[in-house]
Amino acid sequence: MKTHPGEKGTGTFIRQRVTGALNIVFVGFLIWLVVNLAGADRAQMAATFANPIVAILALVLIGSALVHMRIGMYEIIEDYVHEPKLHGLAKTANTTFTVIIGAIALVSVLVLAFGG
Amino acid sequence: MAELVLDKRSRPKAGKTWPKPEGATNLREYQVYRYDPDTQENPRIDTYFVDLDDCGPMILDGLLWIKNNIDPTLTLRRSCREGICGSCAMNIDGANTLACTKGMDEVSKGAVKVYPLPHMPVVKDLVPDLSTFYEQHKSVQPWLQTKSPTPDTEWLQSREDRAKLDGLYECILCACCSTSCPSYWWNGEKYLGPAVLLQAYRWLIDSRDEATSERLDDLEDPFKLYRCHTIMNCAKVCPKGLNPAKAIAEIKKMMIERKVA
Ligand code: SF4
Ligand code: SF4
Ligand code: FES
Repeated sequence: MKTHPGEKGTGTFIRQRVTGALNIVFVGFLIWLVVNLAGADRAQMAATFANPIVAILALVLIGSALVHMRIGMYEIIEDYVHEPKLHGLAKTANTTFTVIIGAIALVSVLVLAFGG
Repeated sequence: MAELVLDKRSRPKAGKTWPKPEGATNLREYQVYRYDPDTQENPRIDTYFVDLDDCGPMILDGLLWIKNNIDPTLTLRRSCREGICGSCAMNIDGANTLACTKGMDEVSKGAVKVYPLPHMPVVKDLVPDLSTFYEQHKSVQPWLQTKSPTPDTEWLQSREDRAKLDGLYECILCACCSTSCPSYWWNGEKYLGPAVLLQAYRWLIDSRDEATSERLDDLEDPFKLYRCHTIMNCAKVCPKGLNPAKAIAEIKKMMIERKVA
């Protein structure tokens, strides 16, 4: 399976559906996390993320949500942005945005999990 | 960007209101899109009045009555006048359908509004240019392809396998579905559209066809198949009651099955 959306259709389609299903499953985890950490201070948050299950689930959720988000935006670009230069630019911006958000989220979770 | 609005030259303007037929009392108003490529003028919407006491009940009857009695320059396609040939597809009262099977009484009160199929180049008046549509149909090689030696009599098919073609073989290639599909509007050159994909599926699941794998290979592309976002306009408008969206979903299923198998 190719890692870039769009080279072939079916790989992207499968990734979109799998991450979509994962995201639905993970909504429960996300709600639990938000409710649990409502009003928590940094030490409490760090304590929650120090639990490896929470940290791993958070990372899987972030990964799945970002892959899904990128494909969704990619589909919109393919549908509507036809001018070649703008098309290329929009796709690069989409990937860059995803990578930046992913990196920030990854570091944040790791800092909380290991650093406190 | 996808062309979301018509360019200035293509926007219809108010047209001519043709005189009411003399002595007629039972009238129905028609507002019809007119475009003549031989003039430099924008398309226009002409208004006609049809004498219902002298005319059949279908929208097509009204259009032909106008052509025969008021304005012989009105241009449209039709042939069978019974929903078989697919040539009289047009946009009536805001939805694509066949003029010959749509009754005037099915159109809510007021004027009957008739436009060509949306988002296609217009040849003249109600006649769209369907060349790309036909090319796309040709591209899916809509004929039986076999590798085994040809049998002495015919290629046999069980009743069960034949039943799999129900809901597909009835397609008359009128293009109502494809020209109602937003994905086809935005990417009509690269996305095959619901009608052609329904035809592709018709051959994919034909038990006698032996080119299934090649056919699927040919659809493995981000545009040809995967621009369908299950908007379902296609199934809503099909005048033969078919469901191209379902056929498309089945193709996607076949694609996934062979990928993960
Ligand atoms: S599927 Fe229906 S709407 Fe589409 S081309 Fe065939 S008959 Fe026409
Ligand atoms: S279901 Fe697919 S083919 Fe049908 S109208 Fe929607 S996008 Fe177009
Ligand atoms: S005239 Fe043949 S389908 Fe309407």
